[in-house]
Amino acid sequence: MAAKSPKTPFPWPALWMLMTCAFAAPAQHPGAAIYQKLCAECHGDRGQGVEDEYDEALVGEKTIEALARQIDRTMPEDAPQKSTPKDSKLIAEYIYDAFYSPMAQARLNPAKKELARLTIDQFRNSVMDVIGRFRMGPGFDRPVNAEQGLKATYRGVELPKPGEKAVDTTPKKGIKAKRPNKTIEKVEPVISFHWGPDSPDKAVLEAEQFQNRFEGSVVANETGVYEFAVKSENGFRLWINDTNEGDALIDGWVSAGPQVREEKKSLYLVGGRAYRLQLEHFKFKEKSASIELWWKTPHGVKELIPAHALRTERTRELMIVSTEFPADDSSGGYPRGTTISKAWDQAVTDAAIATAEHVVENLDELAQTKAAAPDRGEKLRKFANTFVEAVFCRPLSEDMKQLFIESHFKAAKTPETAVKRIVMLTLKSPQFLYPNLREDEATDDFDAASRLALTLWDSIPDKKLAQTAAAGKLKTREQIQAEARRMLADSRTKAKLHGFFHQWLDLERAEGTNKDPKIFPDFTPELLADLRESLLQFIDEVVWSEKSDYRELLQADYLLLNERLGKFYGHPVTGEEFQRVGFDPKQRAGVVTHPYLLASLAYTKQSSPVHRGVFLTRNIVGMSLKPPMKAVVFEDSHFNPQLTMREKITEMTRSGGCMACHSMINPLGFSLENFDAVGRWRTKDNNKPVNPVGELTTAEGKTVRLTGPRDIVNYVANNPSGHRAFIRHLFHHLIKQEPSAYGIATLENLQRDFAANNCNIQKLILDIAIVATELK
Amino acid sequence: MKHLDRRQFLRDLGISAGALPFLTGLPSLTGAPAPQKRQRLVIMFSPNGTLPNEFWPDQEGAEFSFKSILKPLEPFKKQMLILHGIANKVTGDGDSHMRGMSCLLTCDELLKGNIMGGGGNPAGWASNISIDQEIKNFLQSRKETKTRFGSLEFGVAVPERADPWTRMSYAGGNQPIAPIDDPHQILKKVYGKMKDKESLVSILDDVREDLKRVSSKLSARDKALLDQHMTLVRGLEQDLAEADKQGKLLHPVPAVDPSIELVNDNTPQISRIQIDLLVNSLSNDMARVATLQYMRSVGMAQMRWLGVEEGHHSLSHDPDDKKDSYEKLMKINTWFAGEFAYMAKRLAETPEPAGEGSMLDNTLLVWTNELGKGNTHTLDNIPYVMVGGGFGFKMGRSLKFDKAAHNRLWMSVAHAMGHDLKTFGKKELCEGGALNLAA
Repeated sequence: MAAKSPKTPFPWPALWMLMTCAFAAPAQHPGAAIYQKLCAECHGDRGQGVEDEYDEALVGEKTIEALARQIDRTMPEDAPQKSTPKDSKLIAEYIYDAFYSPMAQARLNPAKKELARLTIDQFRNSVMDVIGRFRMGPGFDRPVNAEQGLKATYRGVELPKPGEKAVDTTPKKGIKAKRPNKTIEKVEPVISFHWGPDSPDKAVLEAEQFQNRFEGSVVANETGVYEFAVKSENGFRLWINDTNEGDALIDGWVSAGPQVREEKKSLYLVGGRAYRLQLEHFKFKEKSASIELWWKTPHGVKELIPAHALRTERTRELMIVSTEFPADDSSGGYPRGTTISKAWDQAVTDAAIATAEHVVENLDELAQTKAAAPDRGEKLRKFANTFVEAVFCRPLSEDMKQLFIESHFKAAKTPETAVKRIVMLTLKSPQFLYPNLREDEATDDFDAASRLALTLWDSIPDKKLAQTAAAGKLKTREQIQAEARRMLADSRTKAKLHGFFHQWLDLERAEGTNKDPKIFPDFTPELLADLRESLLQFIDEVVWSEKSDYRELLQADYLLLNERLGKFYGHPVTGEEFQRVGFDPKQRAGVVTHPYLLASLAYTKQSSPVHRGVFLTRNIVGMSLKPPMKAVVFEDSHFNPQLTMREKITEMTRSGGCMACHSMINPLGFSLENFDAVGRWRTKDNNKPVNPVGELTTAEGKTVRLTGPRDIVNYVANNPSGHRAFIRHLFHHLIKQEPSAYGIATLENLQRDFAANNCNIQKLILDIAIVATELK
Repeated sequence: MKHLDRRQFLRDLGISAGALPFLTGLPSLTGAPAPQKRQRLVIMFSPNGTLPNEFWPDQEGAEFSFKSILKPLEPFKKQMLILHGIANKVTGDGDSHMRGMSCLLTCDELLKGNIMGGGGNPAGWASNISIDQEIKNFLQSRKETKTRFGSLEFGVAVPERADPWTRMSYAGGNQPIAPIDDPHQILKKVYGKMKDKESLVSILDDVREDLKRVSSKLSARDKALLDQHMTLVRGLEQDLAEADKQGKLLHPVPAVDPSIELVNDNTPQISRIQIDLLVNSLSNDMARVATLQYMRSVGMAQMRWLGVEEGHHSLSHDPDDKKDSYEKLMKINTWFAGEFAYMAKRLAETPEPAGEGSMLDNTLLVWTNELGKGNTHTLDNIPYVMVGGGFGFKMGRSLKFDKAAHNRLWMSVAHAMGHDLKTFGKKELCEGGALNLAA
């Protein structure tokens, strides 16, 4: 197949390789003969490449038109004149359908669903929800009440009313302290009180001694380590999640002198959940009283716990798997469970042991029985049965009952030991760890339930979904849709979507952003944390609005700013809470110009058009880039100091090799040159006017003139290629498989419906959930 | 009340495997190799004072006879010191109970704070390290006396609240240490990894079966992942078997009834379980220092197992001539003496692992209280009874001191363990130096 002949290297796949997407062409084609004659020698008879000639396979995402133009201009390499425009078109049409296009590739190498274990998030969520089944309450059988803040109870000794005599409530015996006889209740948004020498209500309560309690729950949006801190000169105790009397997270009940003490403790929390919170505070004869409740979220800075993270409703305790797992394989661009290791097996074992211990410690509560109850044995058996069914998402066959339940109750010396073993065995079972084991078997409603829960929640089905499956009501598309719609509103879906945006917008990079403090002294960690909050709130508002319009993510001409951000970005607002601030539509366009991203895609002192351009190309415009063949580091000192950043990058990527990809990257990156290294609008760079103008050649081979971010988002928002990039990212994140594993046309169908549904993201999620769930 | 037989809880499971790094890689479960001579210190606390007339022998010296409360200790007469006349002379903030408790082992004034008692000013935590922790730090600083934990703090029926009435051990000023009164928590802390291993071993066969069964239905490509999983399970099994060979515990871990509830009425059973665990952890050389705290100062335990319905602290306030209360207090204090005697007996029955004689020959047990007498709240003549050996004290005596500060007694104990403290706690109270118990 490979005839040898000396050739110079093929010139166009230089620094980056561009690939774009389009529609299929007819199957048989006269171009085949021309291809075999002119091209096969170097590219192979099926475009597979030829060693020592052009060894890269002819695979990509260009349209036929773009391919034809490329062939006509450059092929064959030694004699481009050999191919006429008509030949080139025929060749392009032939190879496009024979092997070049993604559709052809999907047909030739059909993707299969890969067997995958639960990801770390899926494991943590599943275990939490299995235990939650036995506790229920808000967050399980209904959403947590949206009322923000904490319920406060102030207890103290009532001051005498005018003209009345004070009552001494000190008991005759025992501790010489007055007994409280007055209670005041209200909702407090934030816990930060400085009463000085007074009581919380100086008209009503004596100042000498009082006790306060703040109750509700705290919402953790992200998974990770949270630090909680209480500051007070008085006595205090803080409980998070576990509110057993003796299990306070922070116990500062006994004071030590007049100075304010700060006590802090860290706790691992799973994102998307509300955890019960209880804070007690008491003053006894100290000269002053104050109390503050702080936290530091995984990517935040230390702050008073804001009202939007507090709920007045109390939730039940959640089982938190805090075992450290080795990171999931993300080599495909999204975390998935296609590899296992000894470290992973050990983490699973540790987590199974920790869960078994939690179960045994709380067994009577979970099994709804008592130590001496005559039917305790029965209740424990029932608990074990429900537990295993919940973990495996299906009723147990007789065999399974024997293996997972009966044999342990027979062998173990005590029923507690039996339960402990059952929990460990179940959580180590492949039937739990590999949820798509049954993918090839005949599937039923329980499989559908399990897939739906994994897709939307990264977890097991809740009670309602399990009941729907048991009733055989997850068969039709309408039935699945109905359940999916209900589940969409759950905070677990929101948490999963946060994960998606984290990945799509490459927020991990943004978390580490730092700037030269000499040039940007006000770009503090606090400001960075605010930027993150601003972006995430914006995304949540758009996604969970009725329109849920993908285009608004790109085209919005406003930013959410609070006081600190408003000041920094030149649009003063007042107040801690974030508010919508309108901008000139030329200056701001959705996520693309959000300063959190602009700052992360920049150097510590300067903008970086290449980082911005690559991000836009891959994640927003939707074209894939191969890694550069030669990595070139940008060294500012190598350039004439008079140059603008645009001029430097232009010089650096001037060579023909680079420009193959940089002809795409640079104009996109340059169009954001009006934003400096921290995402502020500028009109000058290095004392010269900024030039953001450029031309972008699209996947369809057309030319788009760019004068700034608005031109990019207007092009992308209605372009199938941009849609597909978004859909593919979302599909990967939700299902953790390739779209084509669910049929060659999956992506095309999703894109078609997405466009028809006014780019509604929630509808898209439902559509993807249907793809994942529908019984085959 | 549910009848609970201690034998139900304590079963020898005969776990053979010991010191193993099977999950998180502890270098060794028990720590250092056994030195030539081991000295151990155990301090036991019971609250609310005693009845002096039923407690202190009338005689001084070797020829003394037992009053009723100390009768359970008669078998140990030759290994005993009864120390009358020791006083807690620490003054300052806090009521007598608070100072009695939180200065008992710390011997210095309490910090200022917000905890109000039955009198005096409100106070905070102790300002000094406690003697058990001081000695533990000393032993841990030396290679030949270092153990895995250094010290273990046991509790029995200690209420779930942290204040100066519930804490006697302090890692330093303002740093109270909570005693562990749940046997399961002790098991988890001391033998946790081993218990995990035992559970794990019991399910691995089933895990393998499960894998095999599921794997047989898979395509070759998917099977590869599960084959790899199977290899991991086998690896874990081998690790566990390897760990089994590495080390065996000298004394097997007692099994604890997983269903025992931590409620008042189960106190007698819990007490014995805790003592067994304490002796077991000393015999496996997990620690050389231990404390065992019953209830708390001002504790209101209702000892229905003795036929006493009233709370202990209320009874202790009644006048001596209230006969019924007096009888009940006698029962209560005698019961504590019985628990102390049980601990001595368990140690006397256990051969010294690294030498001759019994463990009791190398262990000093000290039983004390936060008050001298309940209804006067005196901090004079606080009960101090020692049982054991190996400290160079001349045992088998009833001694009478004249209001000797308890700082000096704890200095004697520290000196006997090789820790030459010049003072301990409040300096002024150390005048006269360590009490001479050797002759």
